[in-house]
Amino acid sequence: MNFALTLPVEHGLVVATVLFLIGFTGVLVRRNVMFVLMSLEIMMNACGLAFVIAGAKWGQPDGQIMFMLILALAAAEVAVALGIVLQLSRRFDTLDVDAASELND
Amino acid sequence: MTSEVVVTLMPYFVLTAGLLVLLLTTAFLRSHLVALIVTLISLLAVLYVTPASIESGPQTLSDLIVIDGVALFFNVLFILAAIVTTVTGYRYLESRSRSYEEFYILVVTSTLGAMTMAAAEHFASFILGLEILSISLYALIAYPERGRASLEAATKYLILSGVASTTILFGMALVYVSTGSMTFSETLASDSSGTIYALGQSMILLGLAFKLSLVPFHMWTPDVYEGAPSPITGFVATISKGAVFVLLLRYAIETQWLSNASVTWAIGLIAIASMVIGNLLALLQEDIKRLLAYSSIAHVGYLLVALVFVSTSDSAGFALESAMFYVSGYFLMTLVAFGVVTVMSTGVDEDAGSLRHYEGLYWRRPMLAAALTIAALSLAGIPLTVGFIAKFYLFAVGVSGALWTLIWALILGSAIGIYYYLRIVISMIKREAEKPVERSQDLNAVGTVTVVLLGVSIVILGIYPTPLIAVVQQLIQSFGA
Repeated sequence: MNFALTLPVEHGLVVATVLFLIGFTGVLVRRNVMFVLMSLEIMMNACGLAFVIAGAKWGQPDGQIMFMLILALAAAEVAVALGIVLQLSRRFDTLDVDAASELND
Repeated sequence: MTSEVVVTLMPYFVLTAGLLVLLLTTAFLRSHLVALIVTLISLLAVLYVTPASIESGPQTLSDLIVIDGVALFFNVLFILAAIVTTVTGYRYLESRSRSYEEFYILVVTSTLGAMTMAAAEHFASFILGLEILSISLYALIAYPERGRASLEAATKYLILSGVASTTILFGMALVYVSTGSMTFSETLASDSSGTIYALGQSMILLGLAFKLSLVPFHMWTPDVYEGAPSPITGFVATISKGAVFVLLLRYAIETQWLSNASVTWAIGLIAIASMVIGNLLALLQEDIKRLLAYSSIAHVGYLLVALVFVSTSDSAGFALESAMFYVSGYFLMTLVAFGVVTVMSTGVDEDAGSLRHYEGLYWRRPMLAAALTIAALSLAGIPLTVGFIAKFYLFAVGVSGALWTLIWALILGSAIGIYYYLRIVISMIKREAEKPVERSQDLNAVGTVTVVLLGVSIVILGIYPTPLIAVVQQLIQSFGA
């Protein structure tokens, strides 16, 4: 049962970093606002994973508590975000974030 | 929990209770006026219990939050911003929306988030406060049911602010990996801390710089300011900047992370870039909300002088004092400026953004024009306004820390700033080209009275700042407990 503790912290951090970068790339590259939000979720979960790994390294529950906070925050953010997406599709007739770009210098 | 802790925590309890009352009232009775009254009562009740909270001394609550004089001082500023936003926004909302009550709920929740950030001393309370504030602001920015601009602004803010929050979170995780603690004062750089620690700290700094809209992370600011409904623009400009800045100050002081020379250099560069680029881009604006957005970028840049000073001196007291004074001045002037825009936008379909709306304002609505003039002059840092004293304070901080490059950037930025602030004043004096639609009555009389009163307070504090300085000096005695 102890195999989780023998896993080096660096490996976990690398996974978390890769996840974070995948999410970040998604936010940059994707134009559909739903996919942008999904990429944001991936970034959030990468942070959660990093916290859990850190908590395991120090043998503290704090990392997992932070993960639960992140879950709650992500849920709240998505709730508001989906409302905004709904309005976006109604008022702009599209989910393309580039289409909603009328404010400019 | 001893009774002293309860007394100290009272502002938070009262605001949370007020929020619950507001939610329940809205559930059973949908009335705009009732919602406004309940909101104002809870906000004023927080102000009422604050002195007792200061008296009972600083308290640390289970490593998560520390309630000291500095936190309570900023709480009072946030409450002031919330009161001004709701009072000036009351009439404005009636012309823009069909459901009003949620506006007040969201204003109160974001105030609560900001108050949490002011007292945060742990990564958990840091991110909770930040997200309570940000998520409420997404909804507030998208609030008007009509119009595409506000929705576009909300979408941009949602995505970019989400990225910034996750960057901060990931940075926190990295710092936690390398230090084993999430309390600010225990996440110090040690000999063992290596690249992971430095990377984590820089990610936190980047995320906060984004939230403060510092150059080069400022791109979202003008769009969000222009698209958001005017009362909310003022609210975003004050409360989110103030909350993030006080958090950054506390974080910088307690983690001593500015003792690293390269970090100080980076912050200095960001400060100079914000002052110069913010002011230069403001020159090009024809829309008053965009203009104030760029001016806010420059103002946060000025504020960073105090932050850099924290790192170069042994006593953080003077820097804190100047930062607190500057933020209070900035709150007053920004609230007046956006308050005037709100009043001007009441009863019309689109926000009075373009400077053309303000032509001939001196002849049509002299009181409003006077308030906007005072705010513009104060933002420019003309003597006899609070903006001058605040800038002078930062100047003194810079001189005593021998931060000459920053001082030159501050002077250069202020010199450029005078031009575009005076443009606002001149466009109000200018007779308008075509006759505007005359309105028989002032649709937002309460808003007008509020901005005029705030304008008067800018002048009073500009002539006689001693009481405010005394309060600030007394409060920083208890910093950090």
